[in-house]
Amino acid sequence: MLGFSVALQPDVLWYAFLGCLVGTLVGMLPGIGPLAGISILLPATFGLDATKAIVMLAGIYYGSQYGGSTTSILMRIPGEASSVMTCIDGHAMALKGRAGAALCIAAVGSFIAGTVGVVILTLIAPPLATFALRFGPPEYTALLMLGLIFLAYMSPTSLVRTLLMAATGLLLGMIGIDGMTGHFRYSFDIPELGDGIGIVPVAVGLFGLGEILSTPSRSVTDRVVAPRFAELLPTREEWRQSVMPIARGSVLGFLIGILPGSAHIISSFLSYALEKRISKNPQEFGQGAVAGVAGPESANNAASTGAFVPMLALGLPTGPVIAVLMAALLIHGVPPGPTLVNDHPEVFWGFVASMYVGNLMLLALNLPLVGIFVSVLRIPYAYLYPLIIMFCILGVYEVNHSTVDVWIMLIMGVVGYALRKFGFDPAPLVLGLVIAPIFEMSLRQSLVMSNGSWTIFFQRPIAASLLTVCAVVIGLAVLSLVRSQMDWRNSIAKDL
Amino acid sequence: MILRQVTVRQDHISGGAFVIAGIIVFLLSGDLPLGSMAMPGAGMMPKLVLVLMIGFGLALVAQAHKSPPLAALEWDDLPHAFCVIMAAAATTALYNLLGFRITMALMLCGLIVVVERQNILRAVLFGLGIPLFIDILFGYLLKSPLPRGTFGF
Repeated sequence: MLGFSVALQPDVLWYAFLGCLVGTLVGMLPGIGPLAGISILLPATFGLDATKAIVMLAGIYYGSQYGGSTTSILMRIPGEASSVMTCIDGHAMALKGRAGAALCIAAVGSFIAGTVGVVILTLIAPPLATFALRFGPPEYTALLMLGLIFLAYMSPTSLVRTLLMAATGLLLGMIGIDGMTGHFRYSFDIPELGDGIGIVPVAVGLFGLGEILSTPSRSVTDRVVAPRFAELLPTREEWRQSVMPIARGSVLGFLIGILPGSAHIISSFLSYALEKRISKNPQEFGQGAVAGVAGPESANNAASTGAFVPMLALGLPTGPVIAVLMAALLIHGVPPGPTLVNDHPEVFWGFVASMYVGNLMLLALNLPLVGIFVSVLRIPYAYLYPLIIMFCILGVYEVNHSTVDVWIMLIMGVVGYALRKFGFDPAPLVLGLVIAPIFEMSLRQSLVMSNGSWTIFFQRPIAASLLTVCAVVIGLAVLSLVRSQMDWRNSIAKDL
Repeated sequence: MILRQVTVRQDHISGGAFVIAGIIVFLLSGDLPLGSMAMPGAGMMPKLVLVLMIGFGLALVAQAHKSPPLAALEWDDLPHAFCVIMAAAATTALYNLLGFRITMALMLCGLIVVVERQNILRAVLFGLGIPLFIDILFGYLLKSPLPRGTFGF
């Protein structure tokens, strides 16, 4: 009740609406994802209290999952990486004249999945937070290690590439004054680097500017398949075909969302694969299968809700977007983690309740107003990307009023461009950057506590259990690596 | 003697770049104390991570035979990317000197007219109008005024 009394206040409702609206636009526009969108708008929340700020920024995140489906279905261009799978069958449905039905199924699926996700979040986050109060430095070290290993295991790119990116992120996160000894590390006498490299310039550079540099100028207006309002309602058969994929996508997405990594992307891929595998007519996939839209769209929305569980209960980010949201809470003096629910109940419950309201708003926004959103897609890219660059510079500068941060963003933009060219996913780098201070501090505190003995990690039951899971995941990864190596050798031998 | 032709692959370059970067940073970390296991110093974690980074870089080079050849990389977008990054760099350099409105107007007009070769009149209207609107939005609605340059704009 406390949550709804906060979330239904007119000004909180207004910021939830603003977040959902901006999120829908961010999700629709190619070249700007939720990470860049949230980072750019982060400074605009400095004048707000913590509840309004997190409600608005979270609205951008889950709103972008809704918006991403619109461009996928109407233009076959994923506005957001998690909407890639929707392109396949969503656009095929649009070409058959079922664009409105595809949009409606995507929006309703997203709404159901988002709401189911919030219900589960409401039920499990508070007990998990109570349990996490037992965590000390060794448990946090083991948990973060498990997070990094899961990230590598679940990554869509190769294991080595992901670990390389995470290591680079960890290294960047160690720039600045060492919290335990006061030593300056890699700051090269630049005073601004004393506080370390901020997540905003790195995230905006890698994901905002990097994306623009990798996207040559193009006009995308001629490929829009605009639906009419009357065509929005799916047929009875289309509803029937979408019920189970939405249910499966909601559960699968939420479970994957809790794990570290690009959960909303992975969940949509897995949901698509699952639906195709269990379908009686797998040949329909790629030709406009309703399940190919309903499953992935539900999964990515449930995953974006599930990702809030470790943030709210444990104070741990599972991905770069959640990391920026955590940074936003910290900037507003509200540390996320096990104590959040007791110390700031109005923020915790207000935020959870706002997600129920936000999902309703998104349903209302995405269906009747789809025509207006489509007109935004008609802005020529030649005008759009300079505008995005302006927001990137403005957003990064406004955090600390420092041009050093903007230079870091530009360097990261070039790095992001190069990484994309060579097939690297920059997301683990941002995650490494965020967890570096917590990971380093926990590890060093654990060693100090045990007088330098590594056995501390095996003497404490929770830490030992987490490290056992780490060992199992590493074992599975090595096994699949050996198998792929053997397959490759066999295929070469056959070719010879 | 038969010389085997070696194809330079993408992972040779990217893995090698990480190895070289790791070695350079390791050399720069010389003054950071390692400490002891009971009292780890400021250099322990960075050096541990650097060793991992160099190791992963070498692993990437070792697996490079599976990656596409370097020659397969397409660089058609490089001139455009170069223009964009130069425009952004010039904007950053002039930001505090000229203020938000002037630098952003110059950047928007420059990119739209010079790089994208769009209609000048429309570009100028867009380039002047958007920064003015954003300036008013931040200054009056969000109560976070944007920087004015030495000319007071």
